[in-house]
Amino acid sequence: MRRRVCSALVGASTLVLTASVCLVALTAQQPAPEQPAPEQPAPSPVPAAPAAAAVLSPQQLTLNRYCIGCHNQRAKTAGLALDTLDLGHVGEHPEIWEKVVQKLNGKLMPPGGRPRPDEATYAKLTSYLEASLDEAAIANANPGRTEALHRLNRAEYRNAVRDLLAVDIDVSSMLPADDISYGFDNIAGVQRMSPTLMERYIAAAEKISTVAVGASALPPTTDNFIVPPELRQDDRLDTLPFGTRGGTAVHYTFPRDGIYNVRVQLTRNAGASFDDIPSFYSPQRLELSVDDTPIHVFELPAEPAKGAGPAAVQGTARRALDSDWQVRFEAKAGPRTVALTFLNRTPALLENLLEPFEKPVPGGSNGYYTTQKGAYLHSVAISGPYEDNGPGQTPSRERIFICRPAGVGEETRCATKILSALARRAFRRPVQDADLETLLAFYQEGRSGASFEAGIERAVEGLLVSPEFLYRIEREPAAASGSIYRISDVELASRLSFFLWSSIPDDALLEAASGGTLHTPGVLDRQVRRMLADPRAEALVNNFVGQWLFLRNLPTILPDPRKDPDFDEGLRQGFRRETELFTGSVIREDRSLLDLLNANYTFVNERLARHYGIPNIYGTHFRRVEVTDDNRRGLLGQGSVLTITSFPNRTSPVVRGKWILENLLGSPLPPPPPDVPTLKEKPNAADEELSMRDRIAQHRASPVCAACHAMMDPLGLSLENYDFVGKWRTADEALISIDASGTLPDGTKFEGPAGLRKVLLDHPDHFVRTFTEKMLTYALGRGLEYYDMPAVRKIVRGAAGNDYRASAVILGIVDSLPFQMRRRES
Amino acid sequence: MIVTKMALPRRTFLRGLGAAFALPLLDAMVPAFSSVASAAKPICRLGFIYVPNGVAMNDALNFWTPKGSGTNFELSRILTPLAPYRDRLTVVSGLAQKQGESQGDGNGEHTRACATWLNGVHPKKTEGADIRLGTTADQIAAAQLGKETVLPSMEMISSELDLVLGGQCEAGYSCAYMNTVSWQSPTTPLPVENNPSVVFERLFGVGGTPEERLDRMRKKRSLLDRVNNDLARLQRSLGPSDRARIAEYLEAVREVERRIQAAERQSAESTLPVPDRPIGIPVRFDEHLKLLYDLQWLAYQGDLTRVFSLMYGRELNSRSFPEIGISDPHHGLSHHGDKPEQLEKFSRLNTYQVELFAYFLEKLRSTPDGDGNLLDNTILLYGGAMSNPNVHLHVNLPLVVAGGGAGSLKGGRHLAFNPADGVPMTNLLVSLLDKAGVTVDQLGDSTGRLNLDTLADL
Repeated sequence: MRRRVCSALVGASTLVLTASVCLVALTAQQPAPEQPAPEQPAPSPVPAAPAAAAVLSPQQLTLNRYCIGCHNQRAKTAGLALDTLDLGHVGEHPEIWEKVVQKLNGKLMPPGGRPRPDEATYAKLTSYLEASLDEAAIANANPGRTEALHRLNRAEYRNAVRDLLAVDIDVSSMLPADDISYGFDNIAGVQRMSPTLMERYIAAAEKISTVAVGASALPPTTDNFIVPPELRQDDRLDTLPFGTRGGTAVHYTFPRDGIYNVRVQLTRNAGASFDDIPSFYSPQRLELSVDDTPIHVFELPAEPAKGAGPAAVQGTARRALDSDWQVRFEAKAGPRTVALTFLNRTPALLENLLEPFEKPVPGGSNGYYTTQKGAYLHSVAISGPYEDNGPGQTPSRERIFICRPAGVGEETRCATKILSALARRAFRRPVQDADLETLLAFYQEGRSGASFEAGIERAVEGLLVSPEFLYRIEREPAAASGSIYRISDVELASRLSFFLWSSIPDDALLEAASGGTLHTPGVLDRQVRRMLADPRAEALVNNFVGQWLFLRNLPTILPDPRKDPDFDEGLRQGFRRETELFTGSVIREDRSLLDLLNANYTFVNERLARHYGIPNIYGTHFRRVEVTDDNRRGLLGQGSVLTITSFPNRTSPVVRGKWILENLLGSPLPPPPPDVPTLKEKPNAADEELSMRDRIAQHRASPVCAACHAMMDPLGLSLENYDFVGKWRTADEALISIDASGTLPDGTKFEGPAGLRKVLLDHPDHFVRTFTEKMLTYALGRGLEYYDMPAVRKIVRGAAGNDYRASAVILGIVDSLPFQMRRRES
Repeated sequence: MIVTKMALPRRTFLRGLGAAFALPLLDAMVPAFSSVASAAKPICRLGFIYVPNGVAMNDALNFWTPKGSGTNFELSRILTPLAPYRDRLTVVSGLAQKQGESQGDGNGEHTRACATWLNGVHPKKTEGADIRLGTTADQIAAAQLGKETVLPSMEMISSELDLVLGGQCEAGYSCAYMNTVSWQSPTTPLPVENNPSVVFERLFGVGGTPEERLDRMRKKRSLLDRVNNDLARLQRSLGPSDRARIAEYLEAVREVERRIQAAERQSAESTLPVPDRPIGIPVRFDEHLKLLYDLQWLAYQGDLTRVFSLMYGRELNSRSFPEIGISDPHHGLSHHGDKPEQLEKFSRLNTYQVELFAYFLEKLRSTPDGDGNLLDNTILLYGGAMSNPNVHLHVNLPLVVAGGGAGSLKGGRHLAFNPADGVPMTNLLVSLLDKAGVTVDQLGDSTGRLNLDTLADL
């Protein structure tokens, strides 16, 4: 009988056994983290063979009774045989026991229908294994090994250029995207080099060095900026002056002093009188300004009221109204804000004003065509320089030229000084003679026949394609002692800065590193806190949080306008901004990470407040507000998360449930088995109207599906009161009232977003462990392995004793074995 | 970035900015281009066009496979837009890509579909440094046909995104496997470009006078020389396994040096003008794709590259197509649940995709090349790596070959292999490489060659 059960399990094992951590875990009693191992009965040295000897330890009895029936040499269910392993010495096979711990933590084993020990017994086995593994890890430490060559990814490259040369570049037009592994785009092992990439690095280095140093003249180029097609332009936009509406503000670096040209275009009619600039009843005035200095006003005449005056401009003439809307002006080199905005009140028709958030109908060529009436800005093209008037004075040149040679005789000395300073920061380490040799050779090459500055420009170009810049390099120390070693302080400085800033170390950090004191606890702690307080720590939100929570997917979300005509660019950007500000505040203010789920505040502007139904918020800027609606607290009440986890035309409780399991609870589920039909889009006429709840009940009808859906669906269904763009509702599209109650596989009942939150908060360590695993992956730039788990547990334990503060986890990571040490190449 | 065979007059960048997106602008300079191929020996070009998420077909309803075989066949609904080019088509049905099946690796059907399409090599399931696949057919061709051109190949994608985002790759597989269909070596996936402006720059460079451009190329070569020195120094300071990474870098540097030399050689010869640079990424799928096709058409004409791959998006993508009334996400729609109305809807998307392919064929056909036109001297493989996506089938793949292959392809036929025989798709790839004059003994799981000229196999 038992044999039959086991072989049946083998058949279904891919699904059941790979379903890693289940939600059941949420409601399980967790062993108190501080419970020390020694309180456990002494580990039995007796091997776990079924034909046991004298006295078996309690955990061995548990294992024998509940696990070994299937996981033995003969059955080898899921390839796992626990009977030949020595439970008294789990350190001999940590790779296997960590898997067991993962299954136990998720309460995944024994599978449904098989006898299961009571909670206390279960917890004892888990904590015994964890404690034994942690103890074994102390004796046999394995910090893992991130590849010696870790290529900077796109975001890091951009930030490094910014911090090195004070130039802000549009990196996405310069370099291809980086492959993602383990959910992040900074994984060393997959950041490969290819001729395509090399070619792009060389092109980027040429452009960047020319703009930063300014020695060479530049041929005129054009940059075109398109106003997002779903952006409302009937009100003032953030950063633009009061009393204006619409338009855009472009941050543009004028590469040289010179004459530039700005050309603007308005949107066109999509429907009747196609391609015309829409008509309106008042004149429209569009002002161009650079750094708040007005440059020019473009004027559109009004269309006279019916019967009054001459006939309106129509046909091809209407099309051509903005054809000469360009202006040439002189600009000084450097980063500037080029703003274009309408000076008068909205020209929109009454209909637009009555539905203030109805967006222009998308689908035209980049929003070039619109059904909305009125004058709206479509794009701004900036070209130049024409008449090059020299490099001007820019932040880059101030940064680079720390000396000026008084005569030819001083040039080499000054060049050496400039290039040493740049190389130290670019290579993130003390400069060696060989570095300078190469750079000075570049300098000489550029200098000969040209100017001193041309020499520097050439050297900067060379610097930017050097492997020492493009790769973070960790070298093994020559002195051989043991299989693991502490990385150098200089390497530690880079690990820190790329973790917290996605950029190169600054001078303060490099100084601490070259002094050899960086790794000492006090110094390290101070540096981390200093770096977290620095604006560059914003990178942690943009790059870590943006990928952890999938915020980066927001720009791809295109809700069906027929299902939600209100969704517009302002809302899309608002969603992202809210979650960035919110998570940023938790990190910056060093709040408990549990606030991410439970905080009673968030950040909104008028557009977002209306969406959430928060009254009395006016204007475009984001401000902190108290969340009085219990359902809206924390990430699970935010439009970003709720929209990312929906389809373009409806909610998906399954996607939401899966997102929660994977990103908040650390329980990646396998993809569905093949041959699964999708849910009915619309019930057949013959069917009754079915609620989402009833439709996805199909999932749990089949046992194959139920294994995962019994976990995912209740989580997602509890959020059904939020529609597919996160708006609150009490009835679904079919006008069936929403039932947000749910029951977890273990019988725990809960209801709605607040109920879900309570379920999550009842087991804070699950959430914090997931956060830690994700962040450690990001910090190391490699996937976590079994040998990293003791470090993860240590960080979570430490954080628990510190109210789960953000800094406790971040400092825990920085202090951890895998962050500070490295395994030698075997 | 580097290259162009063009000697550029300093361009007035403002001209025509108003229509910076529109392709007609690129059309305007057509007459200026002259084909490089001599009538005596036409150059054969290759292109591989990948359609993600399969096509509308299951056992009951099949909107892809033509009825009948040999020369007597009836184009299916999806393939109807290709009717004007029937005499240049070879529809090949019934082939399989068995390496895309799980082989004990569990889930990951979409990843494996994309990864195996052009190489027939089973991908190693990993997210770490040990990612490993196989050199793809386009890159084998590029290594040979691309020796003379400034870019051996071009890799593009019509997607609003230039990568697969987090949460959209299948667990256990690096996103690298799903980001591209082109692998230069078993360990080097090539980035694919979605920005037409960047494609343009790679083809035509950044402007300047011929002297400035030559000077720039010389500077780049000396730059690379010094990088080589740095690398040698670096290599000495690293352990054996890390040296593989340096080798990868060295290889990239050498290839770029070669490209610059090719560009220098060609630069002096030509005075062809260059079209205006497109700006930005069009929001609409069709506009974006047409722009990429237009750029590839220019690249063919100027002989800037002879090989390309183009992805119509990535596996699992959730793009919707409001311009043809489809608001369902692409991947969701592909799981049609065997419902006829869903299959029908999906077939509309597939037909739209083929219409855009027909747009490219028309451009090629209307461009004189040698004694005929560009289409005569091209081999294009269009299709996907799944037949019925609802169940992720890796057999009976939707594939159609277009073009005359410089006289090597007869066209006007449907080669219907029995799906039950599981003839590897790599057999077709090897045969197409043959036709293009690129000889390989074997590719991935290939077991031989297909006879595309007679109907004897059928």
